[in-house]
Amino acid sequence: MERIKGKQQKGTNGRLKVKQSLDPLHQMFTFFVLMCMELQLGLALPGSDTWSRPLLKLGLYEDINVNSKKRGFDHGYLEDEFSTASFKNYEKGLVGWPPVETWRRKKLRCQVHNHMTAAENGYCGGRASNSTYVKVKVEGVVIARKIDISIHQSFETLTTTLMTMFDIFDENRRSFKLTYQDKEGDWLIAEDVPWR
Amino acid sequence: MPKRLAYSLSDEVLEHVFSFIQSDKDRNVVSAVCKSWYEIERWCRRKIFVGNCYAVSPKMVIRRFPQVRSIELKGKPHFADFNLVPDGWGGYVLPWITEMAGAYPWLDEIRLKRMVVTDESLELIAKSFKDFKVLVLASCEGFSTDGLAAIAASCKNLRELDLRESEVDDSSVHWLSHFPETYTSMVSLNISCLGSGEVSFSALECLVSRCPNLRSLKLNRAVPLDKTANILRLAPQLVEFSTCTYSAELRSDVFSNLAGAFSNCKELRSLSGFWDVVPDYLPAIYSVCSRLTSLNLSCATIHSPDLIKLVSHCPSLQRLLVLDYIEDSGLEALASNCKDLQELRVFPSDPFDVEPNASLTEQGLVAVSLGCPKLQSVLYFCRRMSNAALVTIAQNCPNLTRFRLCIIEPNTADYLTGEPFDVGFGAIVEHCKDLIRLSLSGLLTDCVFEYIGKYAKKLEMLSVAFAGDSDLGLHHVLSGCESLRKLEIRDCPFGDKALLTNAAKLETMRSLLMSSCSVSFEACKLLSQKMPRLNVEVIGERGPPDSRPKNCTVDKLYIYRSVAGPRFDMPPFVWTKDEDLALRLSP
Repeated sequence: MERIKGKQQKGTNGRLKVKQSLDPLHQMFTFFVLMCMELQLGLALPGSDTWSRPLLKLGLYEDINVNSKKRGFDHGYLEDEFSTASFKNYEKGLVGWPPVETWRRKKLRCQVHNHMTAAENGYCGGRASNSTYVKVKVEGVVIARKIDISIHQSFETLTTTLMTMFDIFDENRRSFKLTYQDKEGDWLIAEDVPWR
Repeated sequence: MPKRLAYSLSDEVLEHVFSFIQSDKDRNVVSAVCKSWYEIERWCRRKIFVGNCYAVSPKMVIRRFPQVRSIELKGKPHFADFNLVPDGWGGYVLPWITEMAGAYPWLDEIRLKRMVVTDESLELIAKSFKDFKVLVLASCEGFSTDGLAAIAASCKNLRELDLRESEVDDSSVHWLSHFPETYTSMVSLNISCLGSGEVSFSALECLVSRCPNLRSLKLNRAVPLDKTANILRLAPQLVEFSTCTYSAELRSDVFSNLAGAFSNCKELRSLSGFWDVVPDYLPAIYSVCSRLTSLNLSCATIHSPDLIKLVSHCPSLQRLLVLDYIEDSGLEALASNCKDLQELRVFPSDPFDVEPNASLTEQGLVAVSLGCPKLQSVLYFCRRMSNAALVTIAQNCPNLTRFRLCIIEPNTADYLTGEPFDVGFGAIVEHCKDLIRLSLSGLLTDCVFEYIGKYAKKLEMLSVAFAGDSDLGLHHVLSGCESLRKLEIRDCPFGDKALLTNAAKLETMRSLLMSSCSVSFEACKLLSQKMPRLNVEVIGERGPPDSRPKNCTVDKLYIYRSVAGPRFDMPPFVWTKDEDLALRLSP
């Protein structure tokens, strides 16, 4: 069985991450943003080649409670561990577990996960979702949230919504910065890039 | 010489009396009273239910019951829903339709579940049954919109066409347009499984507008919001409705049109669909919420705050299907608002992620068990559980009839104590004396099976995964559960001994499916020889089982009772004891 992990390491997927600037007065939180394959937005560095479509990628998620392992906040990339953890079921080769009906599984997959770029696989079995939901996870907080990125027109509104979702008050807001990770694995500040 | 009491009840009178007896069980009892009752009963039985299409042959059914009007057939076992039964295993309906086409010209209802239905079968149905009324294809596959077109064109009196969860190939035929202009009898239409290309709006609107008796309409995702409002205005008498795609941006004109359309629907009691719903549109349905008894939000990616708002408008709710986005807080709100709740199903939004996607734990279910005294049926996916919670739930809900718990990570222990869940599930079976269906998960030893065998006397269906230590587990279940009909097991260390010891029990059940357990091919052969009225099918994806070493275990084993003998449509990867079948050519 093909290891999903390998797919994630290929450079074809982009990644979006919201990173907090280091401020000793505030706890460090990191937003990792996971984008749905059908997302029509593109993020491009000015003057560089644009990605045809973004991607999907699994941002990293540090859950301090997972498997009773505590992880420090200063982990940069936990990509490998995350991908191992989240696709554990696939890697175990467990067919039919958890027992979710095939049609429901396909539907969820269209909405949440997509492991290939839009260019490679534009549709999910004829039931292509127009969902532009992005999964956002916060380091130190167990729960991820989903947010529809297509209803936002700027980083400003996106950030505001994210803050509300995670109950982050205005005073802490300045310690957060939206960042993304491009194909090469470099973390770049999202606001430097025009919103598209 | 025994005097024969002459009850002067004529056949007609008896037949009239029997017509009030609908349940299969009662009819079976009636037919066993004496020969004349058997004869009268068999001529007037109109409805047949065949839980396993291979348990009996169509000819046998026809021979005994010559005047059937309604038939329900089930094909593949339940585990097929989760890809545990390979494609091509079987469950073909064509042989049944072929026989019935000749024998039952007045057949008007066909209900199928997990069967392979071809366009040919559908065309045969359309052609053969003049007064055909009800076609339900649940979780079926193998047909396309061509077959649907044949049904639409020929079945003038069709009342119900329900394709729930079936896989339909799009042959690009505008099948809905094949309903003639004169056709007006639709009462229930469920096409929610169809893909985007398979329905034409204008044909749909036309159909809806000319069917005044339409009560249940479940559309597919391709119908946009503004069309939804139109359709609702054409059918304000709807009782059940499945909504369609919600567009991403809130447009106030679309919103008010939709809200107005919903407010006209005074009879609406059940809503589902909500694919890609945007929370801003939800208030459009508030006018019907107070009357809603059933709400299916299991495809809706809306989050807890919006779900809480919605649920607080629905005090009459009896049935809720939802994703884990509802979270514990949402379930607490449900528990305080919906006192009539009978059925709750919480599905995982992200089943393959080990980390939780939403703040849903055992607390949510405990809250519902406390707040909803009428709770009877539970399906709950979560990532953590405790024995304490299970015991509380059991004590709060002694009237549970269905309890299916799926702790997503296999072998997860009680998060508070690290113990297996034997005690927790033991409490469920002990307190819930009417439990008929149970699904286990989490870390479990043979102990839980001992409790199940001891207490679960009414249990009819049990699903087990990654549980138990030894054959003793299986033995407890087979020897203790008197009412057991269906048993499905995967990845448990259950083997030959328990099976062979309890061989006779298997003939009292509909079926047993074991996947990735520890049963040897030798035991399967032995079982087959011992029990001629059992079909023992070994499903082996890795080659013929007898070509592998003797101690090798079989991949999958499907055992079911049958009076029809071995089947003749087995694919090459299924083996039974019959030597001759090994020589058959592969299809």
